[in-house]
Amino acid sequence: MRSFCVKAALLGSIFSLAALPALAQQTKVTNQGITPTEIVLGTHQDLSGPIKSWGVPVTNGMKMAVDEVNAAGGINGRKLKLIVEDVGYDPKRAVLATQKLVEKDKIFAMLAPLGSPTVLAAQDILLEAGIPQLFPVTSAEFTYKMDPKNPQDRLKFNNVPPYTESVRAGARHLMQEKGSKKPCVMYQDDEFGKNVLDGFNQAVADAKLTAASVTSYKRGASDFSSQVAKMKSDGCDLVVLGTIVRETVGVMAEGRKIGFAPVYFGSTAANVIEVPALGKDVTEGFYAVGGMEIPYRDTSTGKAKEWAEAYYKLYNMEPNTQSALGYNEVMTFAHYAKLAGKDLTGAKFLAAMESGDVFQDIFNSPPVKFSPTEHLSATVYLLQQIKDGRWVVLKRDLKN
Amino acid sequence: MRFVFKTDYDQDIRLLKHSGYWWSYGVLLAALIAFPYLVGSYLQSQIVFVFIYAIVGVALIILTGFTGQASLGHAAFLAIGAYTAGFLQSQGISFIVYFPAAAIITGAVGAMVGFPALRLSGIYLVIATIAFAFIVEEILARWESVTHGNEGMRVRTLDFLGQPVPRDGDAFYFLCLLVLVGSILLALNLLRSPTGRAFIAIRDSETAAKSMGIDLAGYKVKSFAISAALTGMAGVLFAHKMSFISPEMFTLLLSIEFIMVIIIGGAFGVHGAVLGAIFIVMVDPFLTALKDDVPVLGASLASSLGMSSEGSGKLRDTMSAIGSAAGLKGAIYGLIIMMFILFEPYGLYGRWLKVKLFFQLFPLYKKATFKRQKTYVKSERNR
Repeated sequence: MRSFCVKAALLGSIFSLAALPALAQQTKVTNQGITPTEIVLGTHQDLSGPIKSWGVPVTNGMKMAVDEVNAAGGINGRKLKLIVEDVGYDPKRAVLATQKLVEKDKIFAMLAPLGSPTVLAAQDILLEAGIPQLFPVTSAEFTYKMDPKNPQDRLKFNNVPPYTESVRAGARHLMQEKGSKKPCVMYQDDEFGKNVLDGFNQAVADAKLTAASVTSYKRGASDFSSQVAKMKSDGCDLVVLGTIVRETVGVMAEGRKIGFAPVYFGSTAANVIEVPALGKDVTEGFYAVGGMEIPYRDTSTGKAKEWAEAYYKLYNMEPNTQSALGYNEVMTFAHYAKLAGKDLTGAKFLAAMESGDVFQDIFNSPPVKFSPTEHLSATVYLLQQIKDGRWVVLKRDLKN
Repeated sequence: MRFVFKTDYDQDIRLLKHSGYWWSYGVLLAALIAFPYLVGSYLQSQIVFVFIYAIVGVALIILTGFTGQASLGHAAFLAIGAYTAGFLQSQGISFIVYFPAAAIITGAVGAMVGFPALRLSGIYLVIATIAFAFIVEEILARWESVTHGNEGMRVRTLDFLGQPVPRDGDAFYFLCLLVLVGSILLALNLLRSPTGRAFIAIRDSETAAKSMGIDLAGYKVKSFAISAALTGMAGVLFAHKMSFISPEMFTLLLSIEFIMVIIIGGAFGVHGAVLGAIFIVMVDPFLTALKDDVPVLGASLASSLGMSSEGSGKLRDTMSAIGSAAGLKGAIYGLIIMMFILFEPYGLYGRWLKVKLFFQLFPLYKKATFKRQKTYVKSERNR
């Protein structure tokens, strides 16, 4: 009898869900987290896990931007409040942290959450609650591609250059400029590396060439001698690297050792100050595609220099691309929230985001804008090269 | 103290030994059923993760706690269950079919892993299961036509006979509860059956078990298969709860987390799986809540004790700065686990039993009651 009651209760509860209303075609968007004095924003970062070299500077940059916006009087009189949760690159913790932010902290928007699996596991929670997912620090397609059948997809916005598209644009440009005959690729055997490989293949097809050599390595590998030897024997004249920091330096050092000196080109993941810092003269001449200029403290000018100096003073760390990115995400939000007007609501904010109004950051990056059909703003990339241990911008209008 | 007067041999193996069991578990079940109507989705989500981890915990207790075979490969079993669900669902197969299918496939894989376990024990078995987990991770990354490789795979909302069961909804909660209760009942029934007794005999002494006529090979494989099948079912729920799965989610770290569940909970009883799961899943949100709430409380306490508002504001800021220091959570977490292994090897459930006995026998409680007599193990020390 007892177990029957339990079963009946369970079944009943399952069936009671049958009566869910059909989805309306209008995008549901939240108004929570907006008070006359405050706008509450949330983010989940990796501050203690495997990619904290991204999470920490991104968070620093974001906090700095929030302080700056608030010091200038906030957004139409509302101060920003940023709640950071550390999820250590664990999707389970990302799901829980997101629910906490939505439910307990009542955030208005999720700003710049970090990592592909973490962002993707938590994404639906935000969309279903009508909370915009703004500028996640991952370029996975799920974060900006909209399904016309799902009106909640309108809440997704991204401005990080996708690896595939940016590598395609950069590699094709270099192949044509250098007159490459035998382009090659070497990539890390994971999601990131596969995106680079896809970009390379598209660029090769664009330039009407054939790949001379395709090699890969396992994540965490530190010996690349066999791959580099193979590329040398295949006669590669341009090598696209789907590598991050340590591997980039490792490959180029190995190449130098065996007298193999092609044109090296890397993705946005390698377009960071850590590469020349670690590689010293080995990485001289390395090309990479990037979304923004590197905010060097000594050579940047104007507002970017002020920012870089202030960042260094505040955190006692050299500013890098990651921290500039974090700073930019908050500033981009502030720009569109201001545009939405004094009586900010979720719907007005969405309309402002999609208005096509241009946001120009202080780092001289390609302008940011969105439209109702395009929720990825990063479609123009920069070609950069390491000269004398520093990244120098060569071309500002790489496009597909 | 309660004395159960036994008049029937059945009383020895009854699951609910006396009326106290009916009351306590009845109240627990009622509370669990009422829970989703009382709390928000954040807490409910935590409980769902507790259920899923507890199912894996029960599976591990059958294998490690009862049969004595360690495994650091359970993340791989979870992955097989999760990917079976994801793939079959994308082929348009119903939950009614792919849920048992995931259990059967994972169980079969578990049996295959069980065979090498016949010749291995202790640390070597652990190494073998780690190797297995790596192989599975590698296959998930390579077999792109099925798993979508490293890009990962979206898992659509669970569809129960045409009814959507959203992962944050009450129905999903009840489904997980049902599976957990089912697996606990399975484990308890297993324990009082000849199979379960054979498992325990193997754990305590393989030589003795063998000389009693127990087929070591058969029972070890069975234990692996049952444990894997349960984990596979948990994997289906995990996939739906996450809505996105990728090979990098099922790493060695997750297997270690599962082992921690039973170490902290206590590996010698099914209670341990649930208590350990509660601990592993909820410590992190709990520390998060402390980070948010303690500074505010501390500041208001300080101001009520006569501190100036400026001073208490400063105190609050300092406390929240300490609370949100990166890695603090990890340190606390590690410390707690170390304390458990050093001071309470029987886990939370063991501690509960000791506390209970202390009050039952007061003032006659003796520490030595729980001292483990393992003189018989000495003969197998060099195995």
